[in-house]
Amino acid sequence: MNEEVKVVHAYTKDLLVPIIRRVKTYLEEEMKIDVFNCSEIVYPKNIHLKRNTIMIGTSGSIKLIITLGYDDLLLNKLVEIFTHGDNIEDIDTNEVKNSVACEISNTIIGNAINNPIDNSDIYITPPVLVSEAKTLYKDKDSKFVYVSLVTKYGEIQLTAVGPKEQFEDELEFKDI
Amino acid sequence: MLKVLVVDDSLIMRRNIKKYLTSLGHNIIGEAKNANEALAFCKENKPNLITMDISMPGMNGLEAINKIKSINKYFSIIMITSYGKNNVVKTALQEGAQGYILKPVTEEKLYESIGKIYPEYLLLEEDIEEVKDL
Repeated sequence: MNEEVKVVHAYTKDLLVPIIRRVKTYLEEEMKIDVFNCSEIVYPKNIHLKRNTIMIGTSGSIKLIITLGYDDLLLNKLVEIFTHGDNIEDIDTNEVKNSVACEISNTIIGNAINNPIDNSDIYITPPVLVSEAKTLYKDKDSKFVYVSLVTKYGEIQLTAVGPKEQFEDELEFKDI
Repeated sequence: MLKVLVVDDSLIMRRNIKKYLTSLGHNIIGEAKNANEALAFCKENKPNLITMDISMPGMNGLEAINKIKSINKYFSIIMITSYGKNNVVKTALQEGAQGYILKPVTEEKLYESIGKIYPEYLLLEEDIEEVKDL
């Protein structure tokens, strides 16, 4: 993954940092899973998505595609917690995993999404599962933002893809 | 005991909400994975309460409120949403929803939200302990 200069527009900072924070608080407070480390935000030229990645778009005055990718072990743990450890024999295991990943992603992004530009409402699309690992390559008019949060069960990969003009100012990420 | 319809496109959310409501002593009379299924159900059945996800493919929960209320204005609706910072909840209440729950959904949030609409279902803490001991 090639890194670019760390630049991000202030409103993107105001948009993304709450999501990163919510990933952390969701894991720690709702799921009781400690986050050991949160990487710095990087701006790669391409992104290799994890096998269990959920994609959610935003609409309104900010247009981004946000993805949350889960390591297998972490997703299995989240499923266990989300289903209260119940043995769900009547539903396909993969269907349960997908449903949990979608629901958690929807909750995190929905809880945290806000509009620092004009305070108009931003809506999010229903979550979509990217079922196989994929590599995204940016073109000259787009920009990727990438951060990962590490737990003892593996990591969550958070990415945002949007128009280049939405990423212009410097973001200091130390205060997460 | 309330007769409840659970409307959510998420398999795992329908399952969890049904589990919580059953634990609270309510009767799940139906479930729907989209607004159209919910409308069809409401034409044939009379749930006291409908829990409805706002964000669903096709007709969303907000659009469904009016249509459900036009079938029977006495159906109570609790909206379930992940939106913490926009006007969706305000719109839902203006459209006729009686309450809302901000995700993540828990049994406690359902209990409190139902209690605001149906105070007779608010149990005293000692009653809850007694029920759990049964």
